Amino acid sequence: MNISTSWLREWSDPKVSDIDLAEKLTMSGLEVDKIGPVAPDFEGIVVGEVVSCEKHPNADKLSLCTVDIGKGSNLQIICGAPNVHKGLKVAVATVGAVLPNNFKIKRAKLRGVESVGMICSESEIGLSDEHEGIMELDSSAPLGENLRNFLDLDENIIELDLTPNRGDCFSVLGVAREVCAIYDLVLPKREYRAKVTGKRTFSSTISSPKACPKYLTRVIEGIDTAAKTPQWMAQRLLRASQQLHSPVVDITNYVLLELGQPMHAFDLNKINGDINVRMAKNGEKIELLNEQTVTLRDDTLVISDQHSAIAIAGVMGGIATATHDDSTEILLESAFFDPIAISGVARSYSLHTESSLRFERGVDYELTHRAMERATELVLEICGGKASEINQCVDTSSLPTIEQINITSEKISRVLGFELDPAWIESKFKSLHFDTISHGNSSWTIDPPSFRFDVRLQADLIEELVRLYGYDKVPVHSLSSSVNISSAKQTQITSHDISHSLVNRGYQEVITYSFISNEYHDLIDPNSEKITLKNPISDDMSIMRSSLWPGLLQTVQTNQRRGHTNARFFESGLCFRGVSVDQQEQKIAGVICGQRYDLQWGSTERNVDFFDVKSDVESLLNLSAQSYRFGAAEHPALQVGQTASISKQDKIIGWMGALSPVIQKKLSLPSVFLFELIQSDIQDKEISTFKPFSAYQASHRDIAVVVGKDVKADQLINSINSLKQNCLIDVKLFDVYEGEHIEKNKKSIALNLIYQSSEITLTDEQLNQQVGEVVAHLVSKFSAKLRE
Amino acid sequence: MWSLKQNLIAVILINKLLNEAQKAVSKADDLKDLDGVRVHYLGKKGELTALLKGVSKLPKEDRPVMGDAINQAKVDIQKLIENRKDELEDIALKKRLLDEQVDVTLPGRDVENGGLHPITQTLNHIESIFTKGGFEVELGPEIEDDFHNFSALNIPEYHPARAMHDTFYFDDWHVLRTHTSPVQIRTLEKQKPPVKMIAPGRVYRCDSDITHTPMFHQVEGLVVDKEVTFAQLKGLLVDFLRTYFEKEDLKVRFRPSYFPFTEPSAEADIGCVICEGEGCRVCKKTGWLEVLGCGVVNPNVLKAVDLDPEEYSGLAFGMGVERLAMLRYGVNDLRLFFENDIRFLNQF
Repeated sequence: MNISTSWLREWSDPKVSDIDLAEKLTMSGLEVDKIGPVAPDFEGIVVGEVVSCEKHPNADKLSLCTVDIGKGSNLQIICGAPNVHKGLKVAVATVGAVLPNNFKIKRAKLRGVESVGMICSESEIGLSDEHEGIMELDSSAPLGENLRNFLDLDENIIELDLTPNRGDCFSVLGVAREVCAIYDLVLPKREYRAKVTGKRTFSSTISSPKACPKYLTRVIEGIDTAAKTPQWMAQRLLRASQQLHSPVVDITNYVLLELGQPMHAFDLNKINGDINVRMAKNGEKIELLNEQTVTLRDDTLVISDQHSAIAIAGVMGGIATATHDDSTEILLESAFFDPIAISGVARSYSLHTESSLRFERGVDYELTHRAMERATELVLEICGGKASEINQCVDTSSLPTIEQINITSEKISRVLGFELDPAWIESKFKSLHFDTISHGNSSWTIDPPSFRFDVRLQADLIEELVRLYGYDKVPVHSLSSSVNISSAKQTQITSHDISHSLVNRGYQEVITYSFISNEYHDLIDPNSEKITLKNPISDDMSIMRSSLWPGLLQTVQTNQRRGHTNARFFESGLCFRGVSVDQQEQKIAGVICGQRYDLQWGSTERNVDFFDVKSDVESLLNLSAQSYRFGAAEHPALQVGQTASISKQDKIIGWMGALSPVIQKKLSLPSVFLFELIQSDIQDKEISTFKPFSAYQASHRDIAVVVGKDVKADQLINSINSLKQNCLIDVKLFDVYEGEHIEKNKKSIALNLIYQSSEITLTDEQLNQQVGEVVAHLVSKFSAKLRE
Repeated sequence: MWSLKQNLIAVILINKLLNEAQKAVSKADDLKDLDGVRVHYLGKKGELTALLKGVSKLPKEDRPVMGDAINQAKVDIQKLIENRKDELEDIALKKRLLDEQVDVTLPGRDVENGGLHPITQTLNHIESIFTKGGFEVELGPEIEDDFHNFSALNIPEYHPARAMHDTFYFDDWHVLRTHTSPVQIRTLEKQKPPVKMIAPGRVYRCDSDITHTPMFHQVEGLVVDKEVTFAQLKGLLVDFLRTYFEKEDLKVRFRPSYFPFTEPSAEADIGCVICEGEGCRVCKKTGWLEVLGCGVVNPNVLKAVDLDPEEYSGLAFGMGVERLAMLRYGVNDLRLFFENDIRFLNQF
């Protein structure tokens, strides 16, 4: 909300500068976003009157004017504006004047005729962007008067950013009340009572008293259609960023800004029959003042005449019953609508009005009558006419009730951590217009005023006190809370451990959006449920990810496009199988592509492959010292034959492999390798138990066997282990070979068998016997042939 | 019978041998040559050994003199050989050192250039500050329900604050959490006070422009105990901010503000770390930067999790991680954090 300081100071005028006042408002809870003068710097501009205006002898579009600036001799000024005419009061920049941006006015010759000064438009002096013509000043403007003084251009505009709880400050009156509370000033009591001379009555009824407990109307007849909004009012409205309309509408806007009561003026002659305040019928239509036609829902409160809705209550009036410059009979409305009834309504119709903003946050329900009197008074003063009695519909039982709050100074200091003087407390309660009953000198019963919807609890009262006391004066104490030993666990690998492990293997962490496109979902994880946002930012960001791969692949794409072809990225984050808590899983995933190492001198270039990403996965899994199994499997996103599922016990906890060539082509990606693990499944860590090691030497025996190409390495090793040879402590696979000297569809696998006894040194004989058993087993189980 | 003359000849002979040996030793170019020299003079069949054998044929009284002379010669030659050996080893070492010289400025082999995202680094820093102060780290779901994200936090259905949250919806009940505050509720549901926790994580608002991304990060903090006060909240956050920015004299200012779940509420500003309070573009010429929101937990929030506000009180705070990261690293465009351009990520 914008508010000019002169208007504010008319209500409460602390003896401090505008800048200090703004600072104090911010520090008391009304945040001032900006404060600055109405007009930028300029000097030497005075009020003048065009005493004669003729066509320039040498130019069609220029006028040769004589301007009186009250200094005896008139000035000859050439003006190009279409609206210049004899008798007009104008803003004259005299020779020597300095306009914004340091533009100096000098004597000049225009098409051979001398011009001494310039007649200014609003844009030329930085008041607005209006440059269609010169400024037309009020006919009462005194000649020669400095324009800055005449238009009060040195005053400041305060831009307030109000928090949602302070609906009461959406007016000059509201802010003035705050200023009085801050500076211990007394707010002037201003009562308004318009003279009633009219007889015409108008009746209205309320069908939804819960939503509209109070509805006031008043007829004013005989409006002078020639009336104009006075300069002082127009100026205040404009400085509050309010557009000008007809005088009646301007007056309702003025009252809204001054007192905080949104009002509406109907053209009485366009209303059919009586008014009823009711809920809209589903599908009912109304064309609003902004020429937008909306289809109403039955949760929307409307003002209706006999035929149809004529306004959305508290939001905007209809165009059919709007007042215009030619309206002679008007019906003023001043109502109290329940914030809950109004909340969200404007937004649901994509509307946002000064009225809805205030009603949503709560308008003082005791202001209705006062605002009606104030508006009537202004209408009679500016537009003339005869006002009738106020027609009043009130359902007292539906009006908000404000509960009393008891509070003690002990409670206040318990929350704040320091003591406030009880006398000061009481004085502040009073300056906030809280009805205060004191019990002894440190206990009170408080009745908050009708405009403070936000004060309901002791905590609310405490906040009022401490913000007026000043947060900067609150002492700084240290937290005195019990020591608790943090729950660090050795049986748990942290996500930090996991991330660092990947970073140390050359991975760069990325953070991608949790929502992805339909396309990516269907490509990468088509079998998982689609969790769709109702109101996504865009279609590209409409599905909650079920896998981290889409984000990682997009990251690879982005970087490829920018010429970075080598990638090692990982991300850790929640993935979604559904909307419930247990369907949201933390996953960790990575992607690699391009060269294994960036170009370097020390080793030969090679592209990454399956086993690069597998070693990264294995190093992650090794953190937990548990056993996991890699199995050949199929996944919609991965290449057949280069896909492994990763399982622990019998649960699949992750996937890895090469991106399917089909998807690769669709996404214009190079060959990439991916892995993804459910994080919680790799975080349990086995605590090692010490096993004594043997004092006898270990013996190594190498064997190479030729087996079918489809025999998996872990089948061989598991099978050897299944023999449960006592002294076999490890089997290492150290070579896999296919090609020359090996039959087609066969491969040679070399194994290193390590034997060790804890009791003796094994003899060659014993070793040969054990190795023989292994070979025989492989021969029988896999038709293996021993290679010599 | 040896005569004096014979003795003299012997001495000359020894000296000659010594001279020859000296030449041979200095001529030896490597250890193998040198060993040959040793054998030639000192070996079993060596020249000095032969001389020594001749001593036994001397008259008894001459033997000691001759023996000593020969032994002395042996020692001298040995010494010569030893010295030469040292010299040769030294030469060999020098040669090896020369041969094995490398360009130490060449980069190491197979360097891995990984890194954590700047947001994660910021989160880790914030976490480490609080965990050192005894705070636990709590996590919550990102798809939240209306109760945890709003109503339990004293934001009832028609509250104007809801409209300000720009919420992403799935259905009438489920939303993407708009703040990390629901973790306050989840923590208090499962844990009795005293509670001292922070909750870092992703949050979502339906808003996207130069200064807003639809997803960003917050860290929530909560302390619930029997006697915690607004003055302590101020102390805690001043300490945190000075530690975070590693600036003992960082200016911190608290301003009244409004959050439905705290009362009294405050926003904390720090003296602009870019311009040191002179006024710049980042602080909009105010000299102050808003960095976090905080307050005393609203009694309605405690009631929502069945805690008695007369018995317990709470302090809560929340901060935007991107904002802190931008200030810390001088990042001027929020959107860079989620573009994941390697040229950006590599800088942290």
